[in-house]
Amino acid sequence: MSVFYERFERHDHAEGIKGRSTHYCPGCGHGLVHRYLAEAIEELGIQDRTIAVSPVGCSVFLYYYLDVGHTQAAHGRAPAVALGHKLSNPDSVVVSYQGDGDLASIGLTEILHAAQLGVPLSVVFVNNAIYGMTGGQTAPTTLIGQKTTTSPYGRDASMGQPLKMAELMAQLDGPVYVERVALFDAKQRVRASKAVKKGLKLQAEGKGFSFVEVLAECPTHLRMGAEEAERWVKEKMVPVFPLGVKKDVSATASWGAWHTPTYETGAVLEAIDARETEAQRFAKGFPETPFGGDELGLKFAGSGGDGAQTAAMLMVHAAVNEGLDATHIPSYGPESRGGTSYADVRIARSQVLSPDVPSPHALVAFNAPSLAKFGPSVAPGGIALYDRSVIREPHALPPGVRAVGVPLSEIAAELGQPLVKNVVAIGALLGATGIFPAETVLAVIRQALQKRPALVGVNAEAFARGARAVERGWGRAG
Amino acid sequence: MAHVDVREKPVLHEECCKGCGRCREACARGCIAPGADINELSGLVPIVLSLDACNGCGLCAEACPEPYGLEMAGPEAEREAAAVAPRARFVAPADVPDARVPLPHARPLVVKGTHASAIGALLAGCRHFFGYPITPSTEGAELMAKLLPALGGSFVQAPSEVAAVNMMYGAAGAGRRTMTFTSSPGFSLMLEGVSYLVGAELPTVFVNVMRAGPGLGNIGPEQSDLKLVCRGLGHGSTHAIVLAPATPQEMLDFTMLAFELAFRYRNPVVVAADGHLGQMTGKVELPRALVKPGLPGWAVSGDAAHRGNLHSSILLREADQEAHNLHLFDKYARMTAAEQRAEELRCEDADTVVVACGTPARMAAGAVTALRAEGVRVGLFRPQTVWPFPVAALLPLVRRARRIVVVEASDGQLEDELRLALSHAGAGGEVPIAHVRRHGGILPSQREIADGVRKAVAGRGVTA
Repeated sequence: MSVFYERFERHDHAEGIKGRSTHYCPGCGHGLVHRYLAEAIEELGIQDRTIAVSPVGCSVFLYYYLDVGHTQAAHGRAPAVALGHKLSNPDSVVVSYQGDGDLASIGLTEILHAAQLGVPLSVVFVNNAIYGMTGGQTAPTTLIGQKTTTSPYGRDASMGQPLKMAELMAQLDGPVYVERVALFDAKQRVRASKAVKKGLKLQAEGKGFSFVEVLAECPTHLRMGAEEAERWVKEKMVPVFPLGVKKDVSATASWGAWHTPTYETGAVLEAIDARETEAQRFAKGFPETPFGGDELGLKFAGSGGDGAQTAAMLMVHAAVNEGLDATHIPSYGPESRGGTSYADVRIARSQVLSPDVPSPHALVAFNAPSLAKFGPSVAPGGIALYDRSVIREPHALPPGVRAVGVPLSEIAAELGQPLVKNVVAIGALLGATGIFPAETVLAVIRQALQKRPALVGVNAEAFARGARAVERGWGRAG
Repeated sequence: MAHVDVREKPVLHEECCKGCGRCREACARGCIAPGADINELSGLVPIVLSLDACNGCGLCAEACPEPYGLEMAGPEAEREAAAVAPRARFVAPADVPDARVPLPHARPLVVKGTHASAIGALLAGCRHFFGYPITPSTEGAELMAKLLPALGGSFVQAPSEVAAVNMMYGAAGAGRRTMTFTSSPGFSLMLEGVSYLVGAELPTVFVNVMRAGPGLGNIGPEQSDLKLVCRGLGHGSTHAIVLAPATPQEMLDFTMLAFELAFRYRNPVVVAADGHLGQMTGKVELPRALVKPGLPGWAVSGDAAHRGNLHSSILLREADQEAHNLHLFDKYARMTAAEQRAEELRCEDADTVVVACGTPARMAAGAVTALRAEGVRVGLFRPQTVWPFPVAALLPLVRRARRIVVVEASDGQLEDELRLALSHAGAGGEVPIAHVRRHGGILPSQREIADGVRKAVAGRGVTA
């Protein structure tokens, strides 16, 4: 009984001798590493749990040979694929089997970040200092002076230095075990076999991420016989890639517990903050306005920090709680803080059609540039509400638009809470237009401040002060 | 081969021996010599054993890279490779079906499009998210990061979109539900992985909140990835169902639908939203049930039943690749027949049919409503799938209409899909097609659309 398939059915449909023979060249190291994997899987009793992720490169066909679950990955991405497998199915034992081009060149990002994440995975890295499948090109691990088809005069320093992956991995906090082994004699083969097994065992026991680099022979592209290639690895590669354990904290390592997904409705509804109770309604349907129709457009404009977006959201929540439809589209400048901040709000009796507000029925402007920018677009008969504390002279408003100046900042400052000026503005907006009863908005404010109830008082006061600062009435439609 | 007994001697299976000589180096007793004769099965020259001095140490077999080249065994175990019977063909286990768990009635949520989509994913049973931040899609990922731990799921901020899509490949390979949020430049980076997902038939959901391009462009809304999602999903003959939501409600509904379709067809599904829709807040009703996912029989799931499964997109024999491609094309044809979706507004007697999807379709709905008030016989046809294009529902309208006006935030990518679909349906050139387009992060406004329709009705602005 072996973890190798009895017949390699996937190897060219097992035609001829292919059912019992690998696709590897004579003397290639991959066959030995496959055997160590097979033996380790058998001895650890993890055949059913094991998922082998094969790379692009000569070992792309690992799935021909081992009787375990298999996923074949794109070039360099095996560690990412392995992570996806492991995180979504923690009981599996996932092996990322990779060559030097795959792991150390195109997939360097994937291996470094997977290693640093530290999730229990077993990486087997076969380093033979050359690209095999594409025909003997320079690898990131090709030695200085080594001739390849893309370094025909020998690799020199201008083509980069060989990348020492085991040492690099050992520098990271994530891995618990990093070792470099070789295959060039019986003693090394025993060590290699043990290292591969240890890497798997650490995952099977939930200890952590392991990385085993195997110096392997590629006689074909080194243009040597197998025995000469063994000597080459021993005499040329080992001085550059010293063998041995580079890091081992596995004795004390533990990845900890895994989470189990829940689909329990209570947990899901709580997570997404869904409420089973209906919102209380205070209004009598869609607001009465001089404009008629089934839709209202509002625009809030200011700088980041003025609270334009929050004000817009309060209005949308208010409308939805009243059984109406509403939308909010934010738009910001590129700054994380302090840039422009505009919000379009639409409220509709049944369904908002066009959600943008090129010509608002009511504009709330928190600063002069916002009023200058959007004031001219206010619909005839609409309202331009602005912060009189910072805008002395409203201008450029179309005829029939009612300008309403309210000292938003001053009122907020008097309340000792400058941040509530947007709530003062909402109070003034509703005071002037009556589009919702005060209670609608106050209920939304209470809902939004559920976890900070101490702030409800000052917000309610801000709303009331804003409402008191204005007289009811829209502009005069043309 | 693991246990070496002194009574056992190496047995050479000549047809599996490639004559590399690793065993010769390992043997201290000189029992192994290079061969001289070509093996007629392998075409290679196996080594020659002469076991007079052999003490059964087994080092030769340990050195052999071939699984069945050189074995330590008693003489009774000698056998020819040809004698090994083909093993019983692996049969994947039956699917464990999904369960639908009823949800109690809840009041509508007021959430932005990306959040609605994330909530849809959670309700569809997605517990594994992999992504990379990119505006204007990031809030979806942020909500997943916040909510997944409480639901026992996993969230990984990958080092790149390239890594993210491959993490999805792994999770999908395990048969689990996985998704990502991204935006145009990020989706470009994911396309390699999408091609592999299509090839390996792995279900995944991509929510692409499209922004203005090319290059970095800006974070304003465009619909200029439609060509990419309909015609350019990486290399090879790829297709995926492309859902085009127009409201935060549809962001939730279509994300749930995307998972259903992805698993039904074993294929990625793209939810193509424009930047406005990602950021737009609206009213979102919850569905009546959530999905508790089962486990598909094809999963590589790390257990005995699924051990024979393989996910791969490599098929070396041309005939195998062709057969696989024909299987995929058959699947595309089934999607095209069964998954066309569209919504119509006032199309019943329209002699002008406006075609628009996503947020521009809402502006178009506004324009249609306003134009109808003026007595213009205009309707809106809104594709909810862009691929497959819902041509079956459009054809009867086209046959009645006098013109089409395509409204979009791209250089005509939706119009190209429309024209291609009409052409394939044998209805190309039957009706003139005009358009209203904006670019660079600006969507066509209701007014521009209404003006465009009036012009088309007056016989101007027609491009066909």
